[in-house]
Amino acid sequence: MTMGERLCYGSMTRSPQVDALAALLHRVADQDADAFATFYDHTRARVFGLVTRVVRDQGYSEETTQEVYLQVWQNASNFNPAAGSAMAWLLTLAHRRAVDRVRAEQSARQRDSRYGSATAEPAADVVADSAVIRDERRRVADCLDSLTDTQRESIELAYYGGLTYTQVSERLSANLATIKSRMRDGLRTLRNCLGAT
Amino acid sequence: MTEPTDFELLELATPYALDAVTDDERAAIDRRVSAASGAVAQAFHTEVRAVRETMSVVATSTALEPPEHLRARVMAVATSKRKFPWRTALLTAAAAVVIGLSAVSVGLALRPAPTPSTAEQVFAAPDVHTVSSQMPGGGNATFIFSREKNAGVLVMNDVPKPTIGTVYQMWLINDLGPESAGTMDAQAVSSSTTAVLPDLRNSNALAFTVEPGTGSTKPTPPIIAKLALT
Repeated sequence: MTMGERLCYGSMTRSPQVDALAALLHRVADQDADAFATFYDHTRARVFGLVTRVVRDQGYSEETTQEVYLQVWQNASNFNPAAGSAMAWLLTLAHRRAVDRVRAEQSARQRDSRYGSATAEPAADVVADSAVIRDERRRVADCLDSLTDTQRESIELAYYGGLTYTQVSERLSANLATIKSRMRDGLRTLRNCLGAT
Repeated sequence: MTEPTDFELLELATPYALDAVTDDERAAIDRRVSAASGAVAQAFHTEVRAVRETMSVVATSTALEPPEHLRARVMAVATSKRKFPWRTALLTAAAAVVIGLSAVSVGLALRPAPTPSTAEQVFAAPDVHTVSSQMPGGGNATFIFSREKNAGVLVMNDVPKPTIGTVYQMWLINDLGPESAGTMDAQAVSSSTTAVLPDLRNSNALAFTVEPGTGSTKPTPPIIAKLALT
């Protein structure tokens, strides 16, 4: 049995919100500025929040967010609804850009022999716009709490710290296979927890 | 049938989906997935997709409202890639005819130019300034400009269209008086309108009036909004 057969995940991306985002992206692909503005308004907090968590600098976060949306404007036609939700597509773009930015900064610091700690820090100033978001946030927090400390640490160092799994294994003095299983098992726990609504 | 190397490849799906690989590793993984059997490739993609969907939900826990001024920048940079400044409206109309002759070239014509646009140069300028004003009929106008680049980008959000038979006209005001900086008719105004002003001259303010017909040589009072360019 392959991994793919074991993994099945269901209802958590099938909300009306997601369908509305996909429809907006379709219009953005036709260079519809109104749809783009609406798309920005529906997604900006998640994009900016994720980018800020990874980049940890206000100015760079704004620049990176701007680049992400420019990429959306230019490449919305690459979005394939059959391959995932619009939100996941967008946040994949955003995360990748944020990580690229952080790694470029880190290698610049390394050249200066001033290698800083990349330990993930909790985001400050989190704003909850609505009861729905607060509720969702609580649910996510509960699910994150259901991970083991080592699983959560491995995922956070990689996802928010911008480290590769090899760097995570060095940082935590654990072998590569251990790190890979912690990431995989942690994600599986999260997925089951979040998907079981 | 899952080979040991396939198992190893599938184990990389989670780090890959979390961007926890180097660029070289990512490229190598992409090559291996392309070369893998259909079932293995599908299993890999399913895992990657599941991780990304999960993390998109987790992103609610880090949500953070961006500063207001970012919206104008995002809209301006993006839409300036497609829309043209009013000043070149005639040129644009001429270009549209040429493009129309060859439907195939339309997609290519809409792609961004390889050189940075005026808007991008303004946003990247060290002396970039942003001024903003509510419009009396509703909505707001934001002007992002750079003296060094001698250019600015105007972004109007939720400004109602001018009434039939009138246009909005922009005026750059300097010590010698106002000079027209272009007009906008009902067709040009949408809920998010962007325009590039490529020459600020020695102006100290950007003013807006409502003008009859297709615009005037001198502003007709009253000035409905004025942005100080200091």
